[in-house]
Amino acid sequence: MALVQRALERRGLPTVSVSVARDVTSACLAPRAVFVPFMMGHHFGVPGSATLQRAIVRAALEFIAEAKLSGEIRDLPYTWNEARRGAYG
Amino acid sequence: MSVDHLHAARAAGDDAAFLRYARLHLGDGNETAGRAEIDKAYVAAIKVLLDVPPTDYARVRATVAECDTATLAHLFLYTHLELVRRTSAWIHDGNL
Amino acid sequence: MGTFEPMAQLRPGLWETVNDRYPGSMIRKSDAVPLATPRVPLRDARVCFVSSAGVQPVGSLPFDVAHPVGDFSFRSVPSHASVADLEIHQLKYPTAGARRDLNVIFPIERLRELVAEGTIGGLAPNFFSFIGYNMDPIRFETLFAEELASAVEREAPDIVLLAPA
Repeated sequence: MALVQRALERRGLPTVSVSVARDVTSACLAPRAVFVPFMMGHHFGVPGSATLQRAIVRAALEFIAEAKLSGEIRDLPYTWNEARRGAYG
Repeated sequence: MSVDHLHAARAAGDDAAFLRYARLHLGDGNETAGRAEIDKAYVAAIKVLLDVPPTDYARVRATVAECDTATLAHLFLYTHLELVRRTSAWIHDGNL
Repeated sequence: MGTFEPMAQLRPGLWETVNDRYPGSMIRKSDAVPLATPRVPLRDARVCFVSSAGVQPVGSLPFDVAHPVGDFSFRSVPSHASVADLEIHQLKYPTAGARRDLNVIFPIERLRELVAEGTIGGLAPNFFSFIGYNMDPIRFETLFAEELASAVEREAPDIVLLAPA
């Protein structure tokens, strides 16, 4: 996916990806990414957690204007255990 | 393994690499699981034919005759997965 | 709220694990792509979404999960599509959550809500989806990624959100 992201960014389109695998995202030098320590396939949280899902989408999109360096990865302040508990709504 | 590795294996006549790859592919990255999956497909195929149920042999002949070799190879892998899917022991839930 | 545990990837060493299993399939890049500058503020931005989760409209040709090298095709997903009209064809990541609520991997309803509340300006008419599994990173980068990037560009988005599955 980082290769698609890099192709888009090279064309002048600002991009951001949401990653659960910081090592993979970092190795591929995705131009901008936010990281959540979640289970694979659950990048936006858990089923039914609309508030958390929306917050992650919003945080990712806001990071587009805030990132300073290509390859920068921002950690979002969530944990999988809390997400599974429904702590974030 | 990547196609680069497989191209090198083909050039070197290393068929064992292809066998390993078949197991990795069919076992979602787990060679032991892949070996069991291959066995499972053969067992499923023979079990279902054991009582000689009606089958469309003419269709099998026609389909295979119409296929170029690449499509036939594709169909072979597709059929493997489909036979396994129809057993109750589907392991491909993405939990690598 | 719990204590923030920075950096703790739930599945550590994923790059190494996948590359051990499929040698040569994982890539490393050392050349950073210069960052593009957003042309409009977020509240005015038209957003496109790209996913490698194998999500596709019911009735479109299912992604090929049997091919040993991968399926180098993508599907467009209308951004107004109902979740009930979408399905997943992918074997290589856990889809248990997505099968209960597609938004955990393909947040199409959340994006529509962000438009409704004014956080973003709008959505591209189409989103895009493919399957992440492929064993030919060079073909992927030189052909597929460029073809998909062109399709995204034709949707004329201001920014693009991506979720690798």
